[in-house]
Amino acid sequence: MRIDSTHRAWLVASAVILGVSAVLYAIYRVPASAGSMGGTAMGLAFGILGFAFMIFAGLLGARKKVPVWRVGRAQMWMRGHLWLGLLSLPLILFHAGFHSGGPLTAVLMWLLVIVVVSGLFGAILQHYLPTVMTREAPLETIYEEMEHVNAQLRQEAAELVEGAGARTAEDEEGVTIAVEEQAAPLQRFFAEELRPYLENSAARRGPLADASLAERSFAQLKRLLPPELHDTVDDLEDICEEHRQLARQARLHRWLHGWLLVHIPLSLALLLLGAVHAAIALRY
Amino acid sequence: MPRTRTTKKLAQRIDLNYFQKPRPFRRWRFWLSVTAPVAAMVWLGWHGLRGDPRVYSAGQLSRAHAVFANKCSACHVMRAGLFTEKTSDSACLACHDGAIHHASQTFTPSCGSCHADHRGAIRLAEVSEESCTQCHANLETRDGPAHYFTHIRSFNGDHPEFAVLRSGQPERGTIKVNHYLHLQPNLTGPNGRVQLVCADCHRPAADAQPWRFGSGIASAAIAPAASNESAGRPPSFTQASPAAYMAPATYAQTCSGCHLLTFDKRFSEQVPHDTPQKIHTFVVAKFQAYIAAHPSELRELRNPGRDLPEKPVPADYRVLTPTQWVAEHTAQAEDLLWRKTCKQCHTLNFSPEAASAPNNPAPLPAIAPSNFTTRYMPDAKFDHSQHRLVSCESCHVATRTSQQTADILLPGIATCRACHNTGTQAAESRCFECHTYHDPGQRKFAPGQFALPDLLQSMTLNRTETPADGL
Repeated sequence: MRIDSTHRAWLVASAVILGVSAVLYAIYRVPASAGSMGGTAMGLAFGILGFAFMIFAGLLGARKKVPVWRVGRAQMWMRGHLWLGLLSLPLILFHAGFHSGGPLTAVLMWLLVIVVVSGLFGAILQHYLPTVMTREAPLETIYEEMEHVNAQLRQEAAELVEGAGARTAEDEEGVTIAVEEQAAPLQRFFAEELRPYLENSAARRGPLADASLAERSFAQLKRLLPPELHDTVDDLEDICEEHRQLARQARLHRWLHGWLLVHIPLSLALLLLGAVHAAIALRY
Repeated sequence: MPRTRTTKKLAQRIDLNYFQKPRPFRRWRFWLSVTAPVAAMVWLGWHGLRGDPRVYSAGQLSRAHAVFANKCSACHVMRAGLFTEKTSDSACLACHDGAIHHASQTFTPSCGSCHADHRGAIRLAEVSEESCTQCHANLETRDGPAHYFTHIRSFNGDHPEFAVLRSGQPERGTIKVNHYLHLQPNLTGPNGRVQLVCADCHRPAADAQPWRFGSGIASAAIAPAASNESAGRPPSFTQASPAAYMAPATYAQTCSGCHLLTFDKRFSEQVPHDTPQKIHTFVVAKFQAYIAAHPSELRELRNPGRDLPEKPVPADYRVLTPTQWVAEHTAQAEDLLWRKTCKQCHTLNFSPEAASAPNNPAPLPAIAPSNFTTRYMPDAKFDHSQHRLVSCESCHVATRTSQQTADILLPGIATCRACHNTGTQAAESRCFECHTYHDPGQRKFAPGQFALPDLLQSMTLNRTETPADGL
């Protein structure tokens, strides 16, 4: 989700909540020597509000699972997830008086920090990477289809090379000759460089993984081949470019969604331990 | 024909059943989302199975309560029918009989509101300023006006000047002392010229070093009676170590080396530093013994040098009885003592009635009580030994120029604030640094509530868990 002017209301509301909370904390702050902030009325209020924001942020997953629920637009939930989830960190810090406390509360604090930081990281990625992907991988496809498309590209390249060997041409005297012998450099290039590159979808090194080096390689190949085969080389270069873009898309996709492997599991652990902490704190 | 990429061609490349294929990213996300909460519950469950509730602790316990780290129920008392197990005063009072602060206080805070635990290896007595200022910022009492300042919020804020300085009253001591003179260079000492320093006269009672100008034998008749600590105030309230306060300077320890108590050239001995009656008895006994050993001195030759003009010239000699001789010489010696030797430091009162009594030609004076002030701040505690890193005159700045006994040389609050303030590099300035809430003198014995094996087991668990804790 891009963070644009549509977030202004959330930004203002969050800033107001943060400002009021900071003022209240400064007024009702409990010095370190006087015990924990969390046990005071104001500390409890901060804790309840912060945990409520966490629960709201966590409910985004449920909202996505059941999109037919008439509980507001998905975009509203996403913005709320972003801003209220971010606000939960300072509120919980106010609740704790900037102290980690015992083992459970220390773990909770670290989980919250990791979840919020990973969420911020994800929000930044989601803001910038789609533009980068559009610019650098215009030939993108569905991520789950990538292997399937790559296999088709390999097949298409193999057929192009095979077809080039069977073609004929006329020499300067008008004599028809087979180009099979002249296509040998193309077949060697395909076997030694292009096919290995196309088979390795994650390859980031080698002359064909870099656009400028690849262009040079294909230009050199053309110099070794008769003009009749230059079209084939152009097609192979196009296939190579598409494969390179898909590889780039795969990398960007992993960045775009990889942080969720940290964010979501730790969020669930945070909510669970937070509920335990609330019950224990009420008891003791 | 160059390779083309039409929408149709692109659509044909898509496997329409792609959503049925396994998706590794989603699978990872699912299993991690299951694993993380399960791991959290396993962590809690593992502590639960071990019977170790410390995982739920709000923080490390204070050193005094470290033995209860695994025994929450020692303080968190379960109440019938209630979910909560919060601490209560009764749990604290089972071991600590915290005496009341003042009988006239209008409000008694709960134990935990001041002594908050679970804040690390701290001293629970180190309470916040708010614990004190919740009353002292606007002090009210149950029986009329308060005897103390009623608006104190912090030591560095509106804490008043120390009472003895604020009152403007002079020093109550009666021993004449001139600090300016005593700190002059080249004073005449017992073995030549000397330069006195503060420690030659002022030391804590616990100091066992020999005195430079004294015998080290304190006068029992003077020292204990000299203290004029505020009457009616429990001395235990501000109990301190023997090294905390300067002991009253005694003649034997600090003065006797220079201020000799000789009374007659016939004797090298000095009169005792004691009451006038004992001095009189000592002098009479000395003269009686002397004249018994030297009867020839009963016949006294006239000393022309002592003849007074316009007076009849006395006989060339006179013969006295031993009683006359002793009385005459005792009167002369005591006149020297009362009018010069003793008077140099003490305030002597000669009763007019005694002086006019016909059968008492040499009345004994009454010596005013020395009224040494050993504690200028009876409601606070101070420890000189904790301040030994600075020279005496750093705080007692007026000492070198003080010439009057009435001068009070106690440093003012501004001197204390120079170090004890709220800065990051400052010494402690919270109330407990000088004041005590509970009167330890009223503490009652509380029988032990716990069995040693239980506590040792708890401590063993702590050591296993936190080897670097140092407990």
